[in-house]
Amino acid sequence: MVPFKYISPKTKNEVLEILKEEKVKACIVAGCTNVLPNIRDKKIVSKVLVDISDIEELRGISKEKDKVCIGPLTTIAELTNSEAISKEGEVLYQAAEQFADPIVRNNATVGGNLVTASPAADMAVPLLTLDAILKIESIERKRGVRLKDFFIGPEKTILREDEMITGIEFESSNINKNGCFIKLGLRKAMAIAVASIAVNLEVRENKIAQVRIAMGSVAPTPIRLTVVEGFLKNKEVNSNGLIEEAINKVREEVDPISDIRASAEYRRYVSGILFKRAFNKLT
Amino acid sequence: MKKIEIEFTINGKKRRLSVKPNDLLINIIRNDLFLTGSKYGCGIGECGACTVLLNGEPVLSCLTLAATVDGKEITTIEGLAIGDELHPMQKAFLKNGAVQCGFCTPGMILTATALLKENPNSTEDEIRDYMRGNLCRCTGYIQIVKAIKSCENNLETS
Repeated sequence: MVPFKYISPKTKNEVLEILKEEKVKACIVAGCTNVLPNIRDKKIVSKVLVDISDIEELRGISKEKDKVCIGPLTTIAELTNSEAISKEGEVLYQAAEQFADPIVRNNATVGGNLVTASPAADMAVPLLTLDAILKIESIERKRGVRLKDFFIGPEKTILREDEMITGIEFESSNINKNGCFIKLGLRKAMAIAVASIAVNLEVRENKIAQVRIAMGSVAPTPIRLTVVEGFLKNKEVNSNGLIEEAINKVREEVDPISDIRASAEYRRYVSGILFKRAFNKLT
Repeated sequence: MKKIEIEFTINGKKRRLSVKPNDLLINIIRNDLFLTGSKYGCGIGECGACTVLLNGEPVLSCLTLAATVDGKEITTIEGLAIGDELHPMQKAFLKNGAVQCGFCTPGMILTATALLKENPNSTEDEIRDYMRGNLCRCTGYIQIVKAIKSCENNLETS
């Protein structure tokens, strides 16, 4: 394997100092499940690996009065063992249970899945329908960014070279409690999604009070389907032809490509089917 | 490359090593400590042959940097038996013919012991779900699942 430098800072501030110093050369690692294969493929070269896996302040799940906070170092396995996640953000819990395999879940982290910014990212899709906010820090400043504004292209995010994610938060709310995640893969284990969907829904007096829909692997980034959301809002849940019309709108709003896993045409078609399955489960 | 000093426990023994930043745990275990039970399969975390227990949890040693195990506790397949007495899971694999070429077996057995610890009464579906990242190219899955199931039953009655 190609050589690299390795540092393991012990506090968040040390990491931020290193990021400021090393700039683009720094590559933060924790679970290593994406970075090591990328180093092997020479997609990552001459970097300084900044191992943050010992920084406890960046790990863990806490439930505050009206929100749930997830440390970026929290592993996917920790999500599947969390009552707060299964209760307050079930859509994320479901996605964690379908993530890779139980061994990888012990290492892979939520923050790592987000910053890798794969269009297929299994954590991004449910966190989009939970309308998660990322806490982002550099040594100079802190900012909060909505997850839907975070991704800008395949493997590209708005993170600057001196910044890191220090927290992921979502509200404790009715809509966030009622969610469904479905991943379509070519097999069960270790599958990268052909397409994935998350839907969160709040129905009041038989009307769709709030709805959020996100999909993975059907666009250059994980996306929110805001046109479909707008179409569904305030409609009667059981109104005639609603789902059929929404399915067509889903197929219009996605923007998939063809790759080794599936054709663009298939992805567009199956996006509608996944929407129907998820929506029916929630109503 | 500057070497890093690490100290860890492997199969109950304390070890001190100087490792390079890009040394993978699997290579240290096999080439420096001569514990060749753990297998190097795909090298990219797809096959599970390199599975070891790190602080009791199964992890892929091909996706773990040796430098990151400082202060931790590792169990490899060599650490399961007590003297000549095989671990119940090892016995169950032998009894059920769950070993063919044997390449996946160390990873399979370690993952299976972790499953049993988490959920001692798992159904066949739960076993298959938990074991889904450990691949067997001989496709001896039926015997492997049978072995794990029989081990559960034995543990219950013992």
